[in-house]
Amino acid sequence: MTAAFLFSAITLPLGCLFFAAGSIGLLRLPDLFTRLHALTKADNLGLGLLICGLLPWVESPWQGLKLVLIWLLVLLAGATGAHLVAKRALRGDGEDLQ
Amino acid sequence: MPAIVHRHWTTVLARGALFSLLWLILAGTDPWSWLIGLPSVALATHASLALSPPRRRRPRVLALLAFIPYFVAQSLRGGFDVALRVLAPRPRIAPGFIDYHSRLTDPAARVLFLDTVSLLPGTLGADMHGQRLRVHAIDTGVDVRPELIALEQRVAALFAREGHG
Repeated sequence: MTAAFLFSAITLPLGCLFFAAGSIGLLRLPDLFTRLHALTKADNLGLGLLICGLLPWVESPWQGLKLVLIWLLVLLAGATGAHLVAKRALRGDGEDLQ
Repeated sequence: MPAIVHRHWTTVLARGALFSLLWLILAGTDPWSWLIGLPSVALATHASLALSPPRRRRPRVLALLAFIPYFVAQSLRGGFDVALRVLAPRPRIAPGFIDYHSRLTDPAARVLFLDTVSLLPGTLGADMHGQRLRVHAIDTGVDVRPELIALEQRVAALFAREGHG
């Protein structure tokens, strides 16, 4: 069993666990804002761990960079999306809230 | 004003190089991909310059390198914190809003601050009016202000102007 295998054997299931925690939070938490907490933070960490776990197995450095780029874009989209959803809800000017 | 024209062209080249690198990552090393890649890079550079005009700003590489480990550590703490809260037999939450007056004046710095606030344990950047930030806390029993101040200082270091550090 190599070090890379061991590393991925820890990070990949842990990443899945955080995705599960994010989804459980979505179901268990009472309101929009607390649900956003669970989704942004747990999913960001879950995806980060999945990508770390996949990095030792890429065929070329470009593929590794592409994985890191995906993580950065999801991070940016997640944080921006959470902020926009929270802002609309706070100001009460979302279409679905009228 | 030759100095400003010079700065402008170095910005164009730097952003063009950045978008070319992104294209290379997305499309791979097949030379034919540049048939679409070159126009895309040109349009992306044009859009970037229109949306965010070149400013007198020195790239703060060291500050950025120092920010990355902090960012990763906060992501880990934030993820663990929220996962433990929702997995508890009864979710451990006491949600509420906190108003925070930010000293950041640069709009880009404020956006980065607001976005990274959402990754700190227990806080979510919800709304922003100028320098007034409205932060949602998942547990109002924990004082998050020291963490917000620490993050604000790190973001300020990233965006420090020439001559100010």
